[in-house]
Amino acid sequence: MTIKRRTFLAGSAAAAIASQFPIRLASAQDNVIRFSMPQDFTRVYTFVTAEYSQGQRDYLTLINERGGINGHRFVADVSDHGNDLPRAIEAYERAKSEGAVLVDPLSTPVARALVPRALEDKINMITAFSGRSDAADGSVFPYVLPLSPNYWTQAGLLIDYFRQVDGDLSGKKICFVHIDTPFGKEPLPILEKLAESQGFELLAFPYTPPGNDQSAIWPQVRRARPDWIMFWGAGVGQTVALTEAIRNGLPMDRLSSSVWLSESDMEVVGAAQAAGVMKVEPCVSGREPRLIQDILAEVVGAGKGAGPEDKVGTSYYNYGVMLASLMVEGVRVAFEKAPDGPVTGEWLNAGLRAITGFDAEGLIPPTTITPEDHQGGGQARIGRWDGEKFVAETDWFSANQDVVWEEIRKYSAEFKETGQ
Amino acid sequence: MFYRRAGIRHTRYQDERQIWPLPFDRGLVIAVFLLALAAPFFLDRLYLVGYMLPWIIWSTAALGLNFLMGGAGQIHLGYGAVIAIGAYGSVHMVRSGIPFEIAMIGGGLLSASVGIVFGAAALRVKGLYLAMATLAMQYIVDFVIVHFPTISGGTQATIQVPRVSFLGLAVVGDAPTYYVALFVCIVVTLFMLNVKRTSLGRALAAVREKDYAAAIIGVNTFRYKLLAFWVSSFIGGVVGSVLAVCYYRAISPDQFHLELSIQLVAMVIVGGLGSVLGSFFGAALILFAPILLNQAIGFMAGGMGVAISTDLRSHVPLMLYGAMIIGFLLWEPLGLAKIYSNIRNYFLVWPFRHARQ
Amino acid sequence: MDMLLIAELSINGVFVGLMYALVAAGIVLIYKTSGIANLAQGALAMMGGYAAWAFATLAGLPIWLWLPAALVAMFFAGALLERLALRRMVGQPIIMVIMLTLGIEIMLRGILPGFFGSSVKRLDIGIPTTPLFVGELFLNRATLIGGAVSLATILLAILFFNSRLGIIMRAVSDDQTASWSVGIKVERAIALAWGLSAVMATIAGVLWGATQGVDWSLSLLLIKALAIAILGGLDSLPGVVIAGIIVGLAESLATGIVDPIVGGGTRDVVASVIIVLTLILRPHGLFGREHIERV
Repeated sequence: MTIKRRTFLAGSAAAAIASQFPIRLASAQDNVIRFSMPQDFTRVYTFVTAEYSQGQRDYLTLINERGGINGHRFVADVSDHGNDLPRAIEAYERAKSEGAVLVDPLSTPVARALVPRALEDKINMITAFSGRSDAADGSVFPYVLPLSPNYWTQAGLLIDYFRQVDGDLSGKKICFVHIDTPFGKEPLPILEKLAESQGFELLAFPYTPPGNDQSAIWPQVRRARPDWIMFWGAGVGQTVALTEAIRNGLPMDRLSSSVWLSESDMEVVGAAQAAGVMKVEPCVSGREPRLIQDILAEVVGAGKGAGPEDKVGTSYYNYGVMLASLMVEGVRVAFEKAPDGPVTGEWLNAGLRAITGFDAEGLIPPTTITPEDHQGGGQARIGRWDGEKFVAETDWFSANQDVVWEEIRKYSAEFKETGQ
Repeated sequence: MFYRRAGIRHTRYQDERQIWPLPFDRGLVIAVFLLALAAPFFLDRLYLVGYMLPWIIWSTAALGLNFLMGGAGQIHLGYGAVIAIGAYGSVHMVRSGIPFEIAMIGGGLLSASVGIVFGAAALRVKGLYLAMATLAMQYIVDFVIVHFPTISGGTQATIQVPRVSFLGLAVVGDAPTYYVALFVCIVVTLFMLNVKRTSLGRALAAVREKDYAAAIIGVNTFRYKLLAFWVSSFIGGVVGSVLAVCYYRAISPDQFHLELSIQLVAMVIVGGLGSVLGSFFGAALILFAPILLNQAIGFMAGGMGVAISTDLRSHVPLMLYGAMIIGFLLWEPLGLAKIYSNIRNYFLVWPFRHARQ
Repeated sequence: MDMLLIAELSINGVFVGLMYALVAAGIVLIYKTSGIANLAQGALAMMGGYAAWAFATLAGLPIWLWLPAALVAMFFAGALLERLALRRMVGQPIIMVIMLTLGIEIMLRGILPGFFGSSVKRLDIGIPTTPLFVGELFLNRATLIGGAVSLATILLAILFFNSRLGIIMRAVSDDQTASWSVGIKVERAIALAWGLSAVMATIAGVLWGATQGVDWSLSLLLIKALAIAILGGLDSLPGVVIAGIIVGLAESLATGIVDPIVGGGTRDVVASVIIVLTLILRPHGLFGREHIERV
């Protein structure tokens, strides 16, 4: 019987070990490029993720239907990390062991926590409109790629647009209504610097996250009689800010947001009442761009769309298409540089950091990513809601990049010094 | 049959009071211990870093909370804040050049000294009101961390954890971080296993059952309630430093919000109030159920062509997470530990039906 | 300091506080009858918002139909919740009950966005958004109407407690066993309390949903409601009104006066500080009954 017990113990131990052996999908599958997209569908980023992910998947389907790039097809692993770090780290490690060359978490806390891992493991992490703003400095963050104008740039663009309209900002008053989180406070240093150099007065009004009650903020904004107002939040905070601004009778055409404003926000606020409000547009919205037309015809038309058809062409959908097209362009350039691969993070990184003048057939401004500049030049345009859609108010432009880069270098240097 | 209990007769009190009186249990514990020790050598990195490491850390945290909730009967909905204090305290200490071993203890002490303030509320109120008080303090701690850039780390609100060494071992890479977390986990587990047999544990049990009654039989409830919060917060603080150094490697305020507190309470409840083993089970279930459900649903949607919308698909784990908590409370309020003990009792007398005890 | 601004903030704070008090009143109603702290009250408000949106938009009903429909549906949902989940928890430790309501909250937060979609939904109850000025003084129509509706609902609830059914519920809250022995159907009274509390949550969900849109974040109303319920006393409905006004005023003035000094949104911390202070100074709240414990 002693032997029996021993065999039982040994057997269970063996079973425990055996069950742990990795059951991997064929990671080195021929001609597959694996993108991992663990995103937050359920907690904080619910307002954007569904549409963003739909756009990404539809674009990848479009490319796959056309035969992929260089005979390689794309596989997008979409999962939900719920803004919860253990889940995100698990998804990241899984992506790594399955041979993914790129991960797009679309969440600031997750992106910040994954930075050390991505740098170490040489996996490209896309941090579009999220993550560390100083990741624009490619020399410090080689594997962290925002590929989009960061919040400092967006603030700089808005201030420059105000200057373009008014001619001169000195003596003007600009209110900055923001959610009281690190994300909301991020543009403050840039705005303070610009206030000093351009001579306008900056008034900051923080509201408590998530911002479902801002009724005590906006009367103060109205009393300040500002020349321009920027509201900086996401999701529910944005719609409430707009609603309160309308109720306080503030001029809509003097009101602007960052990239986080979408058609569905307008729907909630009341599309007609919000006419005039502005936002930063990193890409064209609506269904006019060539790529969106192609997706409608070849993907959605063929019944292969990843979500409801009426979401195609919304702002956030197009953000997804924008980022997916940049990723695919990176793959294309990587094949140009090294046609035989092997398909690794390093290989893709070389491609992503050599994207030159890519405009996604008119969807995005001509974007050039270099090993130093991961932001892609910091270009965007100002869009104005006309009651039905966002209409471009300016052409693609870039502004105040000197101040922005000063800030980027300050923080990236700090990271370099203390991080490693 | 499996446990071979027949014929075991204790002749000394020490034998009777052993934690694991049965040789089978002892063998099992040793086997699990050896497996845990050898894990870095046979486990794939994904499983080591993605599952084992968070499991160990969260289990340790659940143990610390279980000491308070199961051992002393005090409700705590702000344990995430306690962990945050330990994490921030020790990371700042490490950054200013203090060795990690001391910073870990320092983080624990810092948490304990703030945690005792939570405990002060417990002297005044209990039950539901205590839950509210700790909940409120969670928000206050969150607010303080976010609004002092010197704590949270400036505009980016992220602090990188520098490379450290622990007892001469450089905490770099997967295996060393795992061993540090395992070491702390084992120390806390041993403490938890033994505390019930000490006067402290018995005094806390008296306070848990009824504090007035405890006072009448001569237990200083004032002292023991505060002590329970102190010890539990100390463990929380040490876990915080392990969490920051071994797992996150970059900390930001939103890692320690109310969700973490609720998650930990759920682990304790699902695992079993007051059970050491239950803390491990509860941590595993609450941590991994969403991940596995997500994968299972992804597999069903992808592989078997079950067409469901993205919204539904991504929310199913949340529904089941809630349903799981409800289900345990309704059908097995004593948690996974009770299920384990039921199974164990069944096999204790197998092939017969009823256990003697 | 600008007096007019303080006046605006005060008026605004009072009415917003009343809107929060409506959620708190639901918590009080349940606590009063069954002694359970319902931490799923915020989620019930969210569910009410979703129900209203579903009847208004998916079913395309006009407001005089969708509002009653949502209220009735939610009444039964609340009663059902009590019947299926909470009734089995009688006699369990308080932490179990708290955790159960938290579990319900988590589940509802999964089910509703999962089936109805997670993007923010528009709910229009026809309050005009054009600004309203009385002299130089600005009044926010939505909060005025919302606060008034909330106050009316809470007053109705207080009146209800003086009706025959209400007296039964008061008896149940006084002593369940004694009520049983005189032939009161205690289960039915408790189920009724849950149903009514879900109705109140629905009204709150509609009022808040009209301002911010309907999505999961409606469930965050809970924290503020808890602060109010604790300050007013967990078993006092009139206390909720007073506490709502106090919390609303404190928060609104803190936003106007303290925020510029500390440079941050102090709103939520005000609620937390109120909870802590209440519990330390006067644990049973302003109007709550002191709980006498016997060994």
